[in-house]
Amino acid sequence: MSLWDRLFRRRKLMMDDLDQDIRDFIERETQDNIGRGMPPDKARYAALRRFGNVARVKEETWEVWSFVWLEQLWQDVRYGLRQLRRNPGFTAVGVLTLALVIGANTAIFSLFYTVMLQKLPVAHPEQLVEFLYKDPGQPRSDGYRRWDEYENIRDHNHVFSALTGMTFDNLARVRIEGSDPETLILENVLGNYFEVLGLKPAIGRLTTSEDVPASGDAGVVVVSWDYWNRWFHRDPAVLGKRIYVNGNPESIVGVAPPAYTGPRVGNRTDVWEPYQRDAVRMLARLEPGVTRGQAEAEMNVLYQSWVDQNNPGHKNTRLRQRKVEVEPAGAGLARVRDLYGKSLVLLMAVVGFLLLLGCFNMASMLLARSAGRQREMAVRVAVGASRGRLVTQMLTESVLLSGAGTLVGVMLAYFGTGVLVRIMASTQAHQHVEIQVKPDLNLLLFTAGIAVVTGLLFGVAPAWYAFRSAPGPMMRRTGAAGDTWFWRWFGRSLVAAQVALSIFLVTGTAVFLSHLVRMRNFDLGFRSDHVLQVTIDPSGSGYKREQLAVPYQQLLARLETIPGVRSVSISGCTPIQGCGSGARHLIAEGHVEAPEQRQFPAISFVSPGYFETLGIPLMAGRDFSLRDVGQQRVAIISAAVARHFFPGQNPIGRHITVVYDPEPYPFGDDRPYEIIALAGDVKPFELHDPPYPIVYFNMFQENHIFDQFELRTSTDPEAMAGTARRVIGDFLKTVPVTRVKTLSEQVDSDIVPERLVAALSEFFGALGAALAGIGLYGLLAYSVARRTKEIGVRMALGATTSDISRLVLGDAAGMLCAGFVVGACLVFWGRPLAASLVLDLKPVSAGPLALAGIAIAAVALVASYVPARRATRVDPMVALRCE
Amino acid sequence: MSTKEQQERTELLQGTLDLLILRTLLLGPAHGHAIAKTIEFRSDDVLQVEQGSLYPALHRLIKRGWISVQEGTSENNRRAKFYRLTAQGRRQLDIETSKWGKLAGAIARILMPAEQEGKP
Repeated sequence: MSLWDRLFRRRKLMMDDLDQDIRDFIERETQDNIGRGMPPDKARYAALRRFGNVARVKEETWEVWSFVWLEQLWQDVRYGLRQLRRNPGFTAVGVLTLALVIGANTAIFSLFYTVMLQKLPVAHPEQLVEFLYKDPGQPRSDGYRRWDEYENIRDHNHVFSALTGMTFDNLARVRIEGSDPETLILENVLGNYFEVLGLKPAIGRLTTSEDVPASGDAGVVVVSWDYWNRWFHRDPAVLGKRIYVNGNPESIVGVAPPAYTGPRVGNRTDVWEPYQRDAVRMLARLEPGVTRGQAEAEMNVLYQSWVDQNNPGHKNTRLRQRKVEVEPAGAGLARVRDLYGKSLVLLMAVVGFLLLLGCFNMASMLLARSAGRQREMAVRVAVGASRGRLVTQMLTESVLLSGAGTLVGVMLAYFGTGVLVRIMASTQAHQHVEIQVKPDLNLLLFTAGIAVVTGLLFGVAPAWYAFRSAPGPMMRRTGAAGDTWFWRWFGRSLVAAQVALSIFLVTGTAVFLSHLVRMRNFDLGFRSDHVLQVTIDPSGSGYKREQLAVPYQQLLARLETIPGVRSVSISGCTPIQGCGSGARHLIAEGHVEAPEQRQFPAISFVSPGYFETLGIPLMAGRDFSLRDVGQQRVAIISAAVARHFFPGQNPIGRHITVVYDPEPYPFGDDRPYEIIALAGDVKPFELHDPPYPIVYFNMFQENHIFDQFELRTSTDPEAMAGTARRVIGDFLKTVPVTRVKTLSEQVDSDIVPERLVAALSEFFGALGAALAGIGLYGLLAYSVARRTKEIGVRMALGATTSDISRLVLGDAAGMLCAGFVVGACLVFWGRPLAASLVLDLKPVSAGPLALAGIAIAAVALVASYVPARRATRVDPMVALRCE
Repeated sequence: MSTKEQQERTELLQGTLDLLILRTLLLGPAHGHAIAKTIEFRSDDVLQVEQGSLYPALHRLIKRGWISVQEGTSENNRRAKFYRLTAQGRRQLDIETSKWGKLAGAIARILMPAEQEGKP
């Protein structure tokens, strides 16, 4: 027998007993009354009257038994479902509204959770920290450190219980025997890596310090569970199999646990290979009881002593000013968090407002509806329902509604998250981010929490209304008088609040969209349109790098002959990737400066034709040429460099020398370069930042050859991709093309957070406006229905249709204006918030606000049209006759 | 029932009905009607049992295990439910009675201080 059966059987038995008992009681009372001399029929009535409401006594007696609340809840749920079924239109709009709002919250929170909060599946993730290095005025950097610095920290710290490290190769070419190579993420890990993280293998073993040879290749790897599944279908015989990593044979000794995909959020490691004595990114465990602040203090001391040891007497201020930050790494390394954190916080705020808007919307609709249910409530009170029961009933209905909305919303969120993840994945290859949102207890709790809280939030007002308006004289009322002053204004202010919030959201949309447009159209100092970038990989082709100059020059000539190609070039980096400023500075003849004033320019190796292809203007002088090879060394400097060294002078013909520090660089020698031209500045995306100082060298003259070809086309560059691939393939048969991408795609991929925010706020703004429209429509339609009689009287007394529609539209305009004023205040208040989260957001002008106002006004006009029309169609005769 | 009559009768204090039921059942098992009548009779009709609250109170006592219920035959040979005090209920009655004594005494001291002052 199930619990339900037992419950109901027991109830039935008890109720029968109680029935009998009460009948008995009344019978005796009747007898008593007859004994006192009443006639039998009167005696019975008197007995019944004295006993009171039999059904209610039974209910109250039943309530003594505690499981009654469950049964009442069940009753409320069934009744609520019936109510929802009876108003399919209302239910559909409500569920859809809630689905969109809750779906948006769930989707954004899943991303937020996955990127910002979710812990790595390792032992004691809360102890893990990483080190980030921050130069004054620069964003903090990942912190690849030299081996001796690692040793210094490992041997001299007192704050970490363990220290390990790794490096990442995001573009490792991995293949198994007899198949094509694929590009995977390889993690080179120190011997103690798996032990420090406390990981256990799925099968086989994980690598240890003993796998790391003193020099050379370890020859063993651990592969990810995913890789094992994909290539070996989880065959245990994978152990001992051989795979080729960047051409080197390695044997698989183990498979990592399924949940572990490396320490980075958004990058899934597939192969782990032990190594040592090389650059390293460190991961440490804090000693129990040591705070991050203490660790940071010690790390900075260790770092400074290491700088002193390595640069005795050297006054490199840049290295000395660098600060080490100790960051918690339990939720993965910080890079993705740094990249998306602010955008995600912003989006969380936006969807939070959207949720609030949705709640207001539902509250106002339910309120309008429950005002129409007053008589139902009065009847329920009359037959013995307590106010408490009415309130529970209303809350049950709203939670039911939000529950249904959540179910649909979770489905929407599932697809929505997919879209968001795809936008986020469209970053550049070297910083590719692939977020995997997995269902998780915390996520489910969040969603369920949101469903209940939303339901209660928007159910409170109608429930309170039911509570206040319950017993009273409602039964007698005919519905003509309308609500009290308070509730009328409460309904209106709910709508005004919706208008305000949607003004806020739409203004945000306008601001973020114009920000995105500005980013896209921002004059970066080069032209990103019509440029195709083709990267090839000669490493496995048999060509030696020093010998590439001639074939590459010939290939350039070939590519130039393709119809539709206007110019071609090769470069080591593009302005979007940035060339990185290293630890080097320039000495210019005739210019003296203190070490603190040094400029640290980026160095870019380019082929002749680069400036034409990228559309970077040469303001004076000539481009590089192939004839420079073997001649006087030449350089082209960007305007920023010229301003630094030769303010107000002509730099052409002057000489500069590169000084590499702290250690010599392979190409470093002190022969000077003659400046042959002045190039326009190239800017980073951060609008307030100064342009990059860049020094360009001729890659053929230096014989420092890179593999990134750029083609400026006169037609759609994407259409040229196939031809370019074919020409390269025909000419350099053994060199594979690894990447083909347009430059504008890369510009887009550099502003992913901005695109994400803009695309989403577009959607949320539209949703907000639609919700405000629905809210306005609901309230107007309801009030027109309530005022039918009043309108009828007015028309009977000679009001024209335009008077009537003015009445309705005036009501709408009032709410709209109030909402607009509050919305404008919200915008004003939210300005610093948005500015703190989005870099370089232009100070909010009146433009977006006005735009939002117009958009919402248009929506409001549409929303009030139908009710206004309905009001003018009221037939006075019918209106007055009814009731 | 006239208005005057109603004024003379006093509604029961919250919670005292339980005590009165227990006390009534100390005399022996009784059915619902008899309990109500006994209370009214023994208080010279001053205390009015609101019949609607009798059954919830009885069930509250059953649930706490202070009284039990059994089928029986009434004096005029009809089947009826008889409520009976349990051992636990008897103990509870002692506790409640002494509590009530304290409460009533305290209230009396506050309401009739003159009498107290008059004492030496």
